[in-house]
Amino acid sequence: MSQTIALLIDAYRLLNARKIFWITLVLSLLVVSSFALVGIHDHGISIAWWDLEIPELNTGSGGWSKELFYKIMFTELGIKIWLAWVATILGLITTASIFPEFVTAGSIDIILSKPIGRFRLFFTKYLTGLLFVILQVSVFTGASFIVIGIRGGVWEPGIFIAIPLVVLFFSYLFSVCAVLGVITRSTIASLLLTILFWFIIFIVQSAERSLLFFEMMNEQRVMAYEDAVDRTRQRLDKVEDPDDMERWGFLHETLDKRKAILEESESTAGNLDTWHDGLMFVMTVLPKTGETIELLQRWTIDLAELPGSTDEPSRPIIDDDDHFRLDEDRLGQDMQTALRNRSPWWILGTSFIFELVVLCFGAWRFNRRDF
Amino acid sequence: MHRLLSFASLYSPMSTNGNVIDVHDVHKTFKKRIKALQGVDLQVGAGEIFGLLGPNGAGKSTLVKILMTVVRPDRISGTFLGNSVGSKQPLARVGYLPEHHNFPGYLTGLQVIEFSGAMCRLTKRERRTNARRLLDRVGMTRWGSSRLNSYSKGMLQRVGLAQALVNDPKVVLLDEPTDGVDPVGRREIRDLLLELRDEGHTIFLNSHLLSELEMVCDRVAIMVQGRVSMQGTIEELTRDSRRHEVRCIGPCPDWITALPDATAECLEDECRISIPTDDVEAIQPIIDRLRKEGRSITRVHAVRESPEDLFMRAVVDESGTIAAPGAEIKPRRGSGGDAP
Repeated sequence: MSQTIALLIDAYRLLNARKIFWITLVLSLLVVSSFALVGIHDHGISIAWWDLEIPELNTGSGGWSKELFYKIMFTELGIKIWLAWVATILGLITTASIFPEFVTAGSIDIILSKPIGRFRLFFTKYLTGLLFVILQVSVFTGASFIVIGIRGGVWEPGIFIAIPLVVLFFSYLFSVCAVLGVITRSTIASLLLTILFWFIIFIVQSAERSLLFFEMMNEQRVMAYEDAVDRTRQRLDKVEDPDDMERWGFLHETLDKRKAILEESESTAGNLDTWHDGLMFVMTVLPKTGETIELLQRWTIDLAELPGSTDEPSRPIIDDDDHFRLDEDRLGQDMQTALRNRSPWWILGTSFIFELVVLCFGAWRFNRRDF
Repeated sequence: MHRLLSFASLYSPMSTNGNVIDVHDVHKTFKKRIKALQGVDLQVGAGEIFGLLGPNGAGKSTLVKILMTVVRPDRISGTFLGNSVGSKQPLARVGYLPEHHNFPGYLTGLQVIEFSGAMCRLTKRERRTNARRLLDRVGMTRWGSSRLNSYSKGMLQRVGLAQALVNDPKVVLLDEPTDGVDPVGRREIRDLLLELRDEGHTIFLNSHLLSELEMVCDRVAIMVQGRVSMQGTIEELTRDSRRHEVRCIGPCPDWITALPDATAECLEDECRISIPTDDVEAIQPIIDRLRKEGRSITRVHAVRESPEDLFMRAVVDESGTIAAPGAEIKPRRGSGGDAP
């Protein structure tokens, strides 16, 4: 136990000695302070002593509650932008050197000559590397809790779930960074390759979201054309002598056209489904950084709380000019619902398995390597 | 082939015979080509200062790293403090200072020693007490609270030595402990090593400084290209090379060639007679005969091989070629020539 504590204290001393750790912490507190400067009222929002009238954003009837406003600000800006992007990049810059410096000749010799196993050393060192993000996100969430409590009037302990979620999110990337650090022994190489890996994950996730969007849009299209085909058929059924092509030829023409579009849309749906399944397989293998962070919003904000949300979505339609009119509200809600329906076990479990596999490989490499 | 063997099967404990280090048949090849160790046998007795000598790349540091579990051997048998080499268990009773140590600059001297103590599972109280005592012992009390990035190389070496001693080790392995230390500091370190030996610690010393090793080591081993070329006390290793030299005026006497192994060499108006014996009685008849011939004897002295001569003898093969520095490199398949 004294060895683990010594390694933790050493990690703290390392962070303490790095200016970037304190810079990030101060910036985090500035971000939270800026939340405190933003308020919401009946007509819009206020920033410090300026009032801005924003009709879409107010606490009036059917508008936003203060609690929701601050929670959205915390999750969307504080977590998704600040912690999951800016602070993570700063965190990677700070911690990328931990393993390369650890395995430097002259440094690793001393630590390996102590009565501590290599596996334990590797995993303890990995955990100490997470200390950066644990401290940062704890301070940030604690300060945000106070700001939401004072300014939003609600004390929401649920936001503390951000601490394990952000740490988990960072740990996916840090596991890759740690293993690359052991293999390459270079801070720059491990940092750049980790950021490249993160970029690949981002591209895969963005591609999957885009496909999901197109899939749902296509679903609306299929739905709309199914309705349109039904409507046209019903119309033909109601007319006298529907086979009279001179009188009702245009209806037959419209029906055929709509049927053709429906078939094409159904075929597109099949193709999109295949591609989406492929991407979902890749997603399953990779850590789900974005979705892990989004769990915070899922667990702290109910969809029904959001202004404009409705339980009875409208149906998309084909207008009189035979144009497909996308129901954007419904699409947004469907996307949210589809994403929220993804199992947290799938999101966290598969990501954790990825992390575990990477770490086990790193530990094996560290254990086998001569220094 | 060795890679197929499990790590544990590479080690087979042997009886220690009172040796704290007793290793046999140590082999290590890096990157399948660089033969760093080629069957090293080495024994270090308890309570002695043992010096390991050798040219650069002879495999000295690799051997120490194998003992400290930093490098995995391809093959080894024997024991280290009664345990199989590779086991972490004896390391709690071992202190180690690597050659190019790299302590984090953000730590103070005191923190480095305490950290080392914690990694050796000492209690907080033991760590604190030992750290302060050792800082005093290496003459660094005044600098204990300063960060290492403000230290000179010699100061780092002293703190490195202190961290190696924090757990009151039975065996201390020091790789070039006086590297970068000024003459006063070297002397202090030498005195410290002798004190440690007197306290019952075993010291394993890797050094290039032959004169330094001669001053402190009870036994030495000389490694050349991954093999132990010689091993024993300096006395034992230089015994065969001991001789007496007699210088007298005039030409070399012709009867000297009749004496077994004795040689004579003419130097201007002098003759130098060399008799391969360290027994002073054995040269008396020669002196008597020279006097009888009326020759003036200008000098009689015992000659012993210097450590440098000993070292050179170890690195020069039978054909008189000096072993090239570095490990033996197996040529690449199909290259035919020497490896780079």
